[in-house]
Formats: sequence, C-alpha cells, structure tokens
Amino acid sequence: MIQLFHVYKTYARDVEALVDINLQIEKGEFVFLVGPSGAGKTTLLRLIFRDELPTSGQILVNSRNVVKLPEPSLPSLRRSIGVIFQDFKLLRDRSIADNLSLVYRVHGVPAAVGKRKVASVLKMVGLSHKAQMTPYRLSGGEQQRVAIARALMSDPLLLLADEPTGDLDADLALDVMRLLGEIHTRGTTIVVATHDTNLVRDLGRRTIMLKGGRVVEDRA
Amino acid sequence: MDRLRYIVEDALTNLRRSGWGGVASVGTIVVSFVIVGIFLIITGNLGALVADWKEQFQVTVFLEDGITVDQLALLRKRVQSERAVRSTTYTSKAEALQQFKREMQGKESLLEGLGENPIPASLQLRVHEAYQTPEALKQLTASLGRLEGVEDVMYGQEWVDRLSSVIHVLRLLGLSVGLALGLASLLIVSNTIRLAVYARAEEIEVMRLVGATRLHIRLPFVLEGIIQGTLGAGLALLLLFGAYRATLWQIQMTPGQIFGMGVGSFLAPHWVVLMVAVGAAVGAFGSLISVGRFLRA
Repeated sequence: MIQLFHVYKTYARDVEALVDINLQIEKGEFVFLVGPSGAGKTTLLRLIFRDELPTSGQILVNSRNVVKLPEPSLPSLRRSIGVIFQDFKLLRDRSIADNLSLVYRVHGVPAAVGKRKVASVLKMVGLSHKAQMTPYRLSGGEQQRVAIARALMSDPLLLLADEPTGDLDADLALDVMRLLGEIHTRGTTIVVATHDTNLVRDLGRRTIMLKGGRVVEDRA
Repeated sequence: MDRLRYIVEDALTNLRRSGWGGVASVGTIVVSFVIVGIFLIITGNLGALVADWKEQFQVTVFLEDGITVDQLALLRKRVQSERAVRSTTYTSKAEALQQFKREMQGKESLLEGLGENPIPASLQLRVHEAYQTPEALKQLTASLGRLEGVEDVMYGQEWVDRLSSVIHVLRLLGLSVGLALGLASLLIVSNTIRLAVYARAEEIEVMRLVGATRLHIRLPFVLEGIIQGTLGAGLALLLLFGAYRATLWQIQMTPGQIFGMGVGSFLAPHWVVLMVAVGAAVGAFGSLISVGRFLRA
C-alpha cells in the first residue's frame, strides 16, 4: 500500500526532518508510528498524502508514485486517502453535517447519495444526534470523532491519523482506538502517528519508532 | 450537474456569510464606480457640447455688392475647392435683409431711412472638424480674403482659440484622472476581496486536503466576485442616475434644454453595459488573484 525508498526531507537551514526512510506498509495493515514530538511523524504522514514533497527519495501509495504525480492528479490521490488531522481542521462556523457534506460536495457526489453517507458515518462514530451542532459546542473527544467521520466520507483505502488521541483522557483514547480498529476490520489500511507509547503497547500492532527523523525500531 | 449546483450554492453561501466584508467589497466598488461615472458623465457631456459646437461652426464670407452671377459662380467653385470646406450656403442680400428683420422684430425702424439694403450677400461655409484649429482657420481666411468679390471673412476667432485650448487641457486631465481612478479602484477592490478570502483560508485549506480540484475551489469565489462586482456597478449606476435626475430637477431643465441638443444626457447605453461588465471583471479578477495565493498544490 505504501512504500518509501530513501526518503529525505530537509527544511530550510538544514533542519533534517526525515533521514533515509525506507518503509513498506502492506494493504490492510494497522501500523503505529511512534516517537517523541519533532521526530518526524507528522512530516512522514504529510509526504504520504502529498501535502509536501520529499527533498529526495521516492514514495509509492497504492502503486502510484506520489513524488512524480502531476498536479491535476492530486485530488484523486487525496480522495483515496482519509486524513485525521492533529488539529481536526473542522470549520467552526458550520454544523457537523455541513463539515461532512463539504467532502461529498467537493467530490461532486449527488446530494442524495452524499446525505446518506453523512448519516451513516455519523452513526458509526455515534454522533447522529449532534449533526446540527457546531464543533464549538462539542467536547474534544466528540470533535475527534467528527474528524474521523470526515476522513471516512470518501470510503478511503488508506486512513492516516495524526495524534488522534492527543488531548483525550485514557478512556476516550481507548474509545478512539476501538473505533479505528473497527474501521480496520472493514479492510482499510491504517497508519496512526502518536507519542503515546503506553497506548500502543497493549494493542499488539506493528509499531515503527522514529527518532530525530530516522527509523530506530520497526516491530510487528 | 450536481457539481455545478454545489459551486453556485457555495458562491451564494459565501456571499451570505461574507457579512461586513462583503458589504465593504460592494461598497468600495460602488464608490469607485460612482466617481468614475461622474467623470464619464461630465466628459461625455462636454464632448457632446464640443461636437455640437463644431457641427454648428461656420465661417462667413461677405461678398462685394457689385458681384455678378458669373463672378459668384466662379467664387463659389473656388471656395468649394478648398480642402477645409465641407459645404457652402449662399445668402443673397434680400434673404439677409429678411433674416435681419426677423431677428430684429419690433425694431424694424432701425432700418428705415437707409433706403437701399445695407446688408451684404454672403457665403456660409461649414468647415471640416480637422480644420477647426486656430492655425488652419487663419490660413483659410487669409486665402479666402484674397479672392475677387470678397469683402470680408469672419468667424469667432477668439472663441476658437479659447475653446480649443480648454478642450486640450480637459482631455489631458480626463485621461490622467480616469486612469488613476480606474487603477485605484481595481487595487482597492482586489484587496477587499483578498481580505474576504483570507477570512476563509481555513475552508480553502480543508477543501484542498480532502481532494478538491483547483477549479472547484476557485469557481465559487470567482462567482462571488462577479456577483459583488455586478452588484456594486449596478448600485453605482442607480445612484448616479438618481443624482442625475435630481440635478436636472433642481435646475428645472429637461436633458435637451441644457446647452442645446445632445447635452445634459446620462451615460450612453454602451458605457452602462461597459461599467457593469468592468465591475464583474474586477470582481472576478480580484477573487482570482486572492484565491490563487492560497492554492499551493
């Protein structure tokens, strides 16, 4: 599903965010990307959905080389990947339903089909009763679930989650993990970046550890 | 079809959400266009005044009393061969007297006692516009004055000199003021729209990240800009028209009465259409520039 070959990412003033990353993530895998803040987890995710380009190296996503992907093909790549952002990126002046509708509208899906999809993802994350509220009136955990719901709107083959348990207490964090596990059982490949090593330890998933932009450990 | 509907809906939603920012955008366009419009009305009317005056402009050639029919025919031919002359009209002594009497109605006694008709026959010349300059007219009168049978040549010398210099200055002034205003309004408008786009930077970012095409992100904003621009230009035209009618009413005149025909009119239809089109274009262009900045791949 995802292959990285000798990927480097260097920002201005020689800040090395990623150094010689070689990775292979199979279709249907559930992988944790762990490491302290600044280890390069977010950068790695952003390279995968081509929010950024690597300084050098090649990245294949679903057998497409995203580094060489021409600009007009970017939307189709991004529609095949669901992304849960660390800061949620929910529009605060819109209802939850409108936040989710944005996705199907952008994809040009007929309204009837889109509305059904909104209802089904909201049901899946357990927020059907709050569809008309604005994110502002939801708790952190609920906002996180809206972010997950939005990532599921396009039935992605690949789901990338950046610190999805970031500010949540242990119970809520486990809820989110359970939800991601459920999505995984439907066949979606999942990559979760987190600094919460305790959370990962008991789940028994493949864990890739980054430190200073390098892969220091990769165990199944 | 759905995609088009979403884009139009998004544009309308954006417009509703834009609130004071939107009002500011439209307001700026209104103010700029009112200023440009006032300017256009003034120069348009001045142009009409000048054109009217040039149309009416004529040189009068007074003829000697003893001129024979053959001499007159020859003279007319000679005058018409001048490149500056568009047409000639002959007024005989008798006709001139009749005309004078008409103009002096009630004061016919002035002519009594003169016995013989004292008014000379004349040729009225219409002059091509290109030759209505002080230099060309001086040259024309000099050459006409030398012809046999010509008593005197007259035209409004002072007027021609003065008006032509005034027109020259006005044209120059008009061109520079119009250019400056046009540029200023484009800048202000695109900046106001840019502010509106900044306010929605988050939305653009999310759209981009969930796989919106560039076109899909741009179009609603461009459409919104077009609506705002058209609305602004339309409002400006309404204001201008209202002010124009109010002014006419104040000075108790109908459009045709001021300075004669064709003067005191509102903007010509092609200017109205052009202003609305420019308003729409300014809105679209302003949006396009502003959204472009957020649209990195």
